[in-house]
Amino acid sequence: MKTWPLWIAGVTALAAVFHILTVFVFPYGVMNRAIAGIAAEAGGVNKAIYPDRPTAEARGIVRPSPDLLYAACVYDVSDRPVKLSSPVPETYWSLSTFAANTDNFFVVNDREVRGKRIEIILAANEDTVPEPGVPLIVAPSEKGIVLFRSLVPSDEAVAEIDTLRRQAKCEPL
Amino acid sequence: MKLALKLVAAFVVALILGAGSAILLIRSGGLGGDVAVGPWETDLTIGSTQADPYTRARVAVAGLLALNRNETIYFTAHRDDAGDKLRISCSYKITGFDPPARWWSITLYGEDHYLIPNPQNRYSVGGETVQRNEDGSFVIHVGPEERDTNWIPTGDGQNGDTFTLTLRLYNPDDKAARDPAGISLPQIAKEACAS
Repeated sequence: MKTWPLWIAGVTALAAVFHILTVFVFPYGVMNRAIAGIAAEAGGVNKAIYPDRPTAEARGIVRPSPDLLYAACVYDVSDRPVKLSSPVPETYWSLSTFAANTDNFFVVNDREVRGKRIEIILAANEDTVPEPGVPLIVAPSEKGIVLFRSLVPSDEAVAEIDTLRRQAKCEPL
Repeated sequence: MKLALKLVAAFVVALILGAGSAILLIRSGGLGGDVAVGPWETDLTIGSTQADPYTRARVAVAGLLALNRNETIYFTAHRDDAGDKLRISCSYKITGFDPPARWWSITLYGEDHYLIPNPQNRYSVGGETVQRNEDGSFVIHVGPEERDTNWIPTGDGQNGDTFTLTLRLYNPDDKAARDPAGISLPQIAKEACAS
């Protein structure tokens, strides 16, 4: 009895499984590398970094915007919630959070913030007792990335925007 | 023993075929999608929790930490209006009016998805910096030849022979967020290529 049709069918089925597994696992692998890079630069999780304005030498995250100044941190809510805080400049600004599978699960911009400062609690579940008046966001993964974006409208505005973005913080409660 | 060797060989072949085809598909996918306006393409699920596994994987390669479409729409152009690939040795004219968003920018990236080195350190033109004509329209020059204003250099080829453009629409208007295919975006016309 010829067995090669069975072998071909088996290899095809197994290849399909590997294909699907690779597609599912790939985003986690890329995010894990980004998480490791930011945490290494910051000296740990829940600590922010303030990278230089992107140039051709920037090799951290793909397709950076040279028109923005970023602040970033790795959040880790496995032990305790994390408080995100930042002043809000008078230019386009946003705070966004990304889960371990790359999903952008929360974003808020300057026009949606009342006042000139924002505070948000990031937690693993809704059981966390929030601080009065501070919104609670439930993170879908224990670890992920927080990104603060600030538009630099002109070269003259760089210093002012830079001063404000360096006050962006990620701190465990 | 012979059967064991056959099984190992089958496993290895399946792994190479399965994982290899997935990685090829992911890496060649870019940030394009099913929505197109001229040469500009986008995928409405970029950055969204509704993204399918293939979109997530493509975003991980070509647009990690992209925002969802209510906050930002990312259009990418790999080709000009005529359907030809964008090449660093060619000059292009991008013409149009401000897209319907609070703020926009057009940024040039190399094949590796990073900014292309150039002596002027110019990588983008945006709504805050573009020089407009009297009627509000603009012309952005993309190419190796230096221009006084509205110029994005294509660099010296360190990042490959081709490039892509990303048009970011931050805080798009409601209509643009609802129906990105129905908005008007700048045209990309090839002017000349170095021989």
